[in-house]
Amino acid sequence: MKITLFEQAPYRYLPDDFEQHHQSVCTTPYSVTNRDGVYSSIRDFMDELMLGARTGFDGIAVTEHGQSSYDMVPNPDLVASALAYQTEAEGLDVAIFPMGRSLGKAREPVRVAEEYAFIDVLSGGRLVAGFPIGLHYDASVNNGVPPIEIRPRFDENLELLLRAWRDQEPFVHNGRFSQYPSVNIWPRPLQPTPPVWITGIGNPRTMQMCLERNFGFNYLSWFGAKLTGKRIFDRFWEIADQVGVPRNPYRLGFLQTIAVSETDERAEQEYAAHLEYGFRKGLGSIPPEMLGLPGGIDIRGVQALVKDPGDFGLYYQMKSASFRELVDAGVVICGSPATVREQLREYCSQYGIGTLHAMLGFGSLPRDLAMKNIQLFAEEVAPHLRDLWSDSEHRHHWWPERLGGDPTPVTPGATATEGAPTRTTTQKTAVTV
Amino acid sequence: MTTIETTNPVITEETVPVWNGKLSIKVKIAGAGAPLLYLHPAAGLAWDPFLSELAQTHTVYAPEFPGTSAGDPYAIHAVDHLSDIVLIYEEVVRTLGLHKPVVIGQSFGGMLAAELTAAYPQLASKVVLLDPIGLWRDDLPIANWIATPPAELPALLFRDPSGPGAQSMLAMPDDPDIAAAATAAMVWAFGSTGKFVWPVPDRGLRSRLHRLTVPVLLVWGRDDRVAPVGYVAEWQHELADSQAVVIDDCGHIPQVERLDQTVTAVEKFLS
Repeated sequence: MKITLFEQAPYRYLPDDFEQHHQSVCTTPYSVTNRDGVYSSIRDFMDELMLGARTGFDGIAVTEHGQSSYDMVPNPDLVASALAYQTEAEGLDVAIFPMGRSLGKAREPVRVAEEYAFIDVLSGGRLVAGFPIGLHYDASVNNGVPPIEIRPRFDENLELLLRAWRDQEPFVHNGRFSQYPSVNIWPRPLQPTPPVWITGIGNPRTMQMCLERNFGFNYLSWFGAKLTGKRIFDRFWEIADQVGVPRNPYRLGFLQTIAVSETDERAEQEYAAHLEYGFRKGLGSIPPEMLGLPGGIDIRGVQALVKDPGDFGLYYQMKSASFRELVDAGVVICGSPATVREQLREYCSQYGIGTLHAMLGFGSLPRDLAMKNIQLFAEEVAPHLRDLWSDSEHRHHWWPERLGGDPTPVTPGATATEGAPTRTTTQKTAVTV
Repeated sequence: MTTIETTNPVITEETVPVWNGKLSIKVKIAGAGAPLLYLHPAAGLAWDPFLSELAQTHTVYAPEFPGTSAGDPYAIHAVDHLSDIVLIYEEVVRTLGLHKPVVIGQSFGGMLAAELTAAYPQLASKVVLLDPIGLWRDDLPIANWIATPPAELPALLFRDPSGPGAQSMLAMPDDPDIAAAATAAMVWAFGSTGKFVWPVPDRGLRSRLHRLTVPVLLVWGRDDRVAPVGYVAEWQHELADSQAVVIDDCGHIPQVERLDQTVTAVEKFLS
C-alpha cells in the first residue's frame, strides 16, 4: 500500500454563519478574509505538507481550485514545485503528486506539460502527474469554458501533453482548442514514463478511459464512502473485467478524510467542530448546479443521476451535516489509532484499494492539531497499513521508479468524451524544423 | 417524410442531410402557404400553440438544433463554431428549397435568426425576433440561464410561473423514466446550445446587424428577466428597418405567456 498525505488550503477563519449567506466558490466575497488569516492558512498548509514528507508518507498530494474559499490553491504546481525543491534538498524520498492541473480547464496545455516536466526535474524524478477532467464551476464559471467543451478539451490537451513529453522532435499541433506552430518543451520529465492519474467521481466513461489507457484512477470520497464506496468501487472493477485488465489494487486511489487522537472520545472532542466547519462551509456550500452544469455531464449520465442520485451520497445534506452524520456516512473516519487503522484496513482490503490518500488537514483545524493528526497517523496508523498488498503478485505501475514503482507506458484507448468524433488532425504528424 | 401527428395541424418530420454528410438535421413541418422558418430557444423545440397558429397561414419549418434531436445527442460534437452553425442553417434552408421564408426566432433562436439573416441578407423576406439574446451591455446583463438552479428557472422565464401558459410548458410527464429522459434532454439541449453562448451570450452580433436589411419585428415581454426590455432600443439602434411590440405582464417567452397578443402582433407584421 502506498499512502500519501493530501491537504487543501481552506481559509480557516470564516464567520460562524458563513454558510447561511455565502457560497464557497465563485461568488464568495473576499471581504470575509483578513490578511493574517490568509497568510497563516497558506503558510501552515505548506508546513503541514512538509511534515508529511518528513514523517515518511509515500507521497504528498494537492489539487487545484480556482476562486474557492475551501482550497486557496489556484495551481497545484506552485505548491508541488516548492515541495519538490525542499524535499530534494532534505533528501526525502517522497512522491510529489499534484492531483490536478485540470486539463478540461487549461487553455495553455503546453504550459502544463512544461510545469509538470519542471517539477519532475526539480524532484529528481518523483512526480506523479494528476489530471482531473475539470470541475464544472471551475472550468466553466471561473475559466469561461463552455461546459460541453470540458471533456473534448481534456481529451485534446491530454494527447498534446503526453506527446510533448514523449516526442524527440519539435512538432506542429493543429487542434480544435489550441494550435502551436512548434511544440518542443524544455525540460522534459526525467522519468521516461511519469505515472498518470485521473481523479473522478464515478463516471463510468472516465473509469473506462483510465483502465484502457493505463492511468491510475483516484476516487475522492467527499460524499461519504459508506454511502458511495460500494457503488463506485464495484463499478470500477466490473469495468476492469470488461476491459480485460487485472484487478491490480495499486491502480485505484482512494481519498479519505481522517482524524486521529489518543482515544475515540478525545478525537471527537478535538476534531468534530473543525470537520463540521470543513464540510458545511466547503463542499456543502458549493451549489449543486455549479457541480453539474448542462453539457458537462453526458446526457445518459444526467438521466441516470436524475433517477438515482446515489453517487452524490451525503452531498445534499452536507451544508448542515453534524459530526455524527459525517462519521456515519463515512465522509470522515475519526478516532483512536486502532479505530482508524481497523476501518481503513477493512475498507481498503474489501474494495481493492492500493493507494490511500489521507486527508489530515481540513476545515478550521489549527496548525498544532493538524500537525498532531499527521504525526499520529504517520506513527501509529500508516505502518499498520503498508503491508496490505505485500503478499500479492501485483506491482505498482503507477508510481515513480525511484520510489519503488514500476511505471509502464500509457496505452491507446477510450477518450473522456462520449460520442466525440475522431480528429485526423490530432494524429501524429511530427515535422523537423 | 413521416407523419408523426394526425391532429390539427398535421406535423410531419423530415431529416435533412447537411455538412457533407456529418449532420442530419430533423425538421418538423406543418401547415400550408408561404414558407416560415422557426428557430427554437435554448431548451429545444417544443411544438406549441404559437406554431400551430402560424401553420394556419404559413408552411412552418422548425429545424432542431444539432444535439437536441432525440436519439442523436452527439451531433453537437460535429460543430465547432458559431459560423459553422450559420452555414449549416443556410444549407438547411437551401436543401429544403425555401424561397424567401419568414424567419422567426425565440431567445437563443432569435440570435441564430439574426446571425443567419445578417450573414445572408437575401435569405429572408421578413424577420421576427421574440426576446432575442445576442447583444450585451454590462449594465444590462443577460441572465445566465444555463447556470441557474432548475427550481429558479420558472421565475426567470415567466412573469407569472403559475399562469396557464407557463404551467403547460413546465408540466412534466408522470412516468419517472419518461420524466428523467425529458429532464436529461432539456439539460443536454442547454449544453448543446450553450456551446455557442457560454460564458457571455455575445459573439459580436452587433457588428454584423447592419447587414440585416429586411423588415424586422421585435416582440418583447416587458418583464423579461433573462433579456431585459432595455435591449429593444439596442436592437433598433443597429437594425435598418425595425418595429417593436412590447407586451405588458409578460416575461421572456411571449408566445407562451401572452399567446394572443403575440400572434396578433406577428400576424399584423406579416400581412
